[in-house]
Amino acid sequence: MSNKIPWAVRLQHLLPFYRRHAFSFAIGFVLLTATAITTAAIPYVLKLAIDTLTAQQSQTAISNFALALIALAILNAFMRVKARTHIFGIGRQVEYELRKVYHNKLLELDSPFFDGERTGDLVARGNNDVTAVRMFIGPGFLQITNTVLAYAVTLPIMIGLDPMLTLVIMAPFPVALIAARYLTRILYRLSRKVADKFGEMSSFVQETVAGVAVIRAHAQENNWRNRFNQESQELYQAHLDHTRLQSLFSPLVILSGGAGSLILLYYGGGHVASGDLTVGDFVAFSGYLAVLVWPTVGLGWILTVMQRGLAALERIGRILDTDPFIKSSNDKIQQKNKNRLHGSIKIKGLSFGFDDSTTDKPVLNNIDMDIANGSFIGLVGRVGSGKSVLLNCLARLYPTPKGCITIAGKEIMEIPESQLRENLIMAPQESFLFSTTIRENIQIGVKGENDEQQAWRAAQQAVFDKEIEEFPEQIDTVVGERGITLSGGQRQRAALARALAVDPAILLLDDIFSSVDANTEAKILENLRDVAKGRTIIMVCHRVAALHNADHIYLLDDGEINAQGRHEELLQNSELYRNLHSNMAKEEALAQLSEAS
Amino acid sequence: MMPAVMSETEETKYGSFLDIDLFARFFTYAKPYKGWIVVALLLLPISTVAQMVQPLIIKQAVDQHLVPQDLTGFNLLALYYAGLVAMQFFISYLQSVINSLLGQRVVRDIRRDLFNKLTAMDAQFFATNASGRLTNRITNDTEAVSNMVSSGLINLVSDILLLIGIAISMVILSPKLSLIALACMPIILICTILITRHMRLVQRKSRVVQAKMAGHLTEQVEGHEVLRLFNCQEQNRTEFDKMNSSYYQTVLKSNFLEAFQFSFIEASSVVVVALLFLYGAGLNPEDGVTVGVMVAFIDYLRRIFFPIRDLSGKFTTMQAAMTALERIFALLDTPPTITTPTKSETPKVYNGKINFNNVHFDYGKGPILKGVDCQINAGERVAVVGPTGAGKTSLIKLLNRTYDAQQGSIEINNLAVDRYPLQQLRKMVGMVQQETFLFAGTIMENIRLNDSKISSQDAMEAAKQSGAATFIEQLPLQYETVLSERGSNLSAGERQLIGITRMFAFKPEILVMDEATSSVDTISETLIQNALEKLQKNRTAIIIAHRLSTILNSDRILVLAQGEIKESGSHTELLAKDGLYAKLYALQFNDKTQAKMA
Repeated sequence: MSNKIPWAVRLQHLLPFYRRHAFSFAIGFVLLTATAITTAAIPYVLKLAIDTLTAQQSQTAISNFALALIALAILNAFMRVKARTHIFGIGRQVEYELRKVYHNKLLELDSPFFDGERTGDLVARGNNDVTAVRMFIGPGFLQITNTVLAYAVTLPIMIGLDPMLTLVIMAPFPVALIAARYLTRILYRLSRKVADKFGEMSSFVQETVAGVAVIRAHAQENNWRNRFNQESQELYQAHLDHTRLQSLFSPLVILSGGAGSLILLYYGGGHVASGDLTVGDFVAFSGYLAVLVWPTVGLGWILTVMQRGLAALERIGRILDTDPFIKSSNDKIQQKNKNRLHGSIKIKGLSFGFDDSTTDKPVLNNIDMDIANGSFIGLVGRVGSGKSVLLNCLARLYPTPKGCITIAGKEIMEIPESQLRENLIMAPQESFLFSTTIRENIQIGVKGENDEQQAWRAAQQAVFDKEIEEFPEQIDTVVGERGITLSGGQRQRAALARALAVDPAILLLDDIFSSVDANTEAKILENLRDVAKGRTIIMVCHRVAALHNADHIYLLDDGEINAQGRHEELLQNSELYRNLHSNMAKEEALAQLSEAS
Repeated sequence: MMPAVMSETEETKYGSFLDIDLFARFFTYAKPYKGWIVVALLLLPISTVAQMVQPLIIKQAVDQHLVPQDLTGFNLLALYYAGLVAMQFFISYLQSVINSLLGQRVVRDIRRDLFNKLTAMDAQFFATNASGRLTNRITNDTEAVSNMVSSGLINLVSDILLLIGIAISMVILSPKLSLIALACMPIILICTILITRHMRLVQRKSRVVQAKMAGHLTEQVEGHEVLRLFNCQEQNRTEFDKMNSSYYQTVLKSNFLEAFQFSFIEASSVVVVALLFLYGAGLNPEDGVTVGVMVAFIDYLRRIFFPIRDLSGKFTTMQAAMTALERIFALLDTPPTITTPTKSETPKVYNGKINFNNVHFDYGKGPILKGVDCQINAGERVAVVGPTGAGKTSLIKLLNRTYDAQQGSIEINNLAVDRYPLQQLRKMVGMVQQETFLFAGTIMENIRLNDSKISSQDAMEAAKQSGAATFIEQLPLQYETVLSERGSNLSAGERQLIGITRMFAFKPEILVMDEATSSVDTISETLIQNALEKLQKNRTAIIIAHRLSTILNSDRILVLAQGEIKESGSHTELLAKDGLYAKLYALQFNDKTQAKMA
């Protein structure tokens, strides 16, 4: 926690929001004042009515007071609803804006940023933290203003009635305030602990369900049950710790209100008996006590809430202040450049490493390539040789030094985002599918009018059509989170179809056959021949057949180009290539053996 | 067979408010804590009386002491009042603590049963029930039940008692005035319930949208690469904005309803007081409407709205809990299909011999195995080859009763697998899957799986034997290295090595494995091969083979196709037989590779 940063500095984050909604806040303030005044007026009218009743004066006077009470009650309710909806509305408005800003920021940020973040944290920023900020702005403003106004309006009336009694009667309130503040602070910590323990238990259950096959296979059920009981017991204990304090909260209100009433009865009663106060005053005081109890306790609570809001704002602020690593030129200025790019690629002296890498050795070292438009390029190499990283660089998921990569003669880092994406598509090895229909997943990159058949054609090219037909809703079947309802091979082909649905000049395919059987692969390769016409394809290959098709093959090893040439040339010249090729051949032979039967 | 525990619409379903059967069953969980319940129930009337009496004391003070300006005996009255306030403080604290204690204990017990049930269920069950839902049973559903106990059940009684208590006090004080006050109550109560109901509906809707936004955000973060590659940020932005606006609109509505509910109750209490004045002013002094009575009524009316506000929220709490209970009990009532037989046996000899006798199996979607017959001898190493979908994985899953065969029998040590105590069978058959599942925790925990019979020493010894020790000991924290979810901070090969290390630690008599080929780098591959070699020594082993080397190293090859064993024999025998295996082998391995392998 960042408790060291002074409040004032942290409050600065909020200034723009306060400034933007200054007028709304002013209206809110007026409404709250009206509410506070009508609230305070009610006990006073009550006092007048009681005094009239005590003096056994005219019936009509009492009736008038009663009517006045009704009018006041309605006016007060009206004002209160207005004030609350207005001020909470500002909070909601800010929440909406902040969430939007945050979401847009996430869309703007790129892979190097996401590599260093955890999904859960980023999602929590957009949910819990935005809510915490909203609590600061809406309820925070309301509660503090409300408390201040309640005191500002009520205290003078009470003092006017009996200054000494006011002083005595209010004695328990500072104690209540401090207790509430102290309690909420500890309660917050304890409720965090409950939430943490709850989270731990949930993850434990989730993991148990995910790994239940292992537990079962090793007959460890009892063991896991014991562990669960331990987790569950810890949660129980955390709950209990929280409850013990939480349970003090409402009795505290009872006690501070009750103590006030007691003082009123004992001390105020004496004053009434001695004639210094009327019975009406007595009733009014009791009303004012009720008016002040909640704002006082609420103040203690809201201070804790606001503290959380500030901490949350800071966490969000850290992300809002992050700049994307890749800054492409402004799309709007370059609008006229939105034409098709030529699919030629030049790589010159490209070296690349990740910031967080433990070794000094770059992942890619001094890579040179010259790829002509319309060629079919194969990339091979062992696991960890840098193939996927090279593709990621070509797809501009990571920033590369100036002058290293040019596409159609243009520096890659300077091509406007929309133009680049229209012309260059990559199908990553493990492509993410969204929990929507297959059609929508395939059409995700298609801009402009969606042609009904487009997704279907792409699915056909990716040899996914036969299986899609067997799904309950065919191409409109929802695939579940991360495409969980599909097999690994189906996910890969969906991702391929997604890439094929777009009509790019350059197509980067990262080992898209790893979960696809050989027969299907052969069919896809056949289809790719058509797709390849007039297009540059760079493909990471782990299969023999794909290599035979390539115009040119680069063999990467340890981040460097170890050898290059056509398949036959490499077979002759490179020992490493021969080994890789024979390994692939062996694997495939067995797979073929399986399938052919 | 398929457990009908969960329906698609379950998360949006409403339960009935009161279901006697559900309640009765729920109380079996509350029974062990009946002592606490009795205490809580005993406290109820005391706290009700404490609340009822306070305004009466005020009335007494006003009528006897304040109005006549006579203070004799006033101190005693104030003392009574002080006593009541203190009592109310302690009792309400006690009640609150006892309520949550009860709630948490009951829920802890329900959770225990749910978890026991989950771990007793078989593969079939997990295949048909989404894991998220199952987790929800233990987490959110039990939370709903806990809410009901700690803020619902006993408070419901206490609210009703308080309402009745206040009503009685008012009637005793002044039947005429109470007529007015009580006549207003049902109207106010009904209005409050209606508003609250509407409010909860809107709140529920906003929660749904909120969950959708969270889901969207999660997918956006996880799929950020795809969004960038396919340039769909704009589309995504519009989609999110739509949700965000809809959320904004919904919460504005719920804000209004909340403010309205709050203000409605406040205003109602004042209006009722005003009505009392209007009516009371017209009454004669003989009617007994003194100033003190009036003051007491004002006090009562202030108090009566707490239980009303509280009650109006109870319906939804109870409803949510009832729905949750229904789902919880449905899960608890689902019987596991694979269990230890009531009269289990242990084999006479342990030799590791395996027999498949006419085994038929299907998952309910057409036959997978169609009469598999074969015998695997003690210590034999058998490679199973065959096309995808031939039933290789199913075959090995029947061995440790992950599934049960529909027909035929499988014997290990000449004893049918379904005669064994389940735990013994599963410890006897060691499985290495294509991918090793790792739990979040240390490497040590993942090797031992927290089994108390396996010491840290054993685990380290096992890692040495498997060769995993080499990479583990290079890590800064060695065996205490904490693995992230699914061990994603290890390479695929390292994960696999840990899975094999488990085998060395658990020492099963029979080894069954689905050989992994993809995504393992060359160094790990050699390590894994060596480890498996060692592991198979003196053990009966069945391996679904993907590598030629595995096939060549096995004692016997089973060719499984279309759910039947088509061929069986050694590599040379099968080649000589010139059947399916030989044909494909000749077709696929040209002279060069064959020469190399030989």
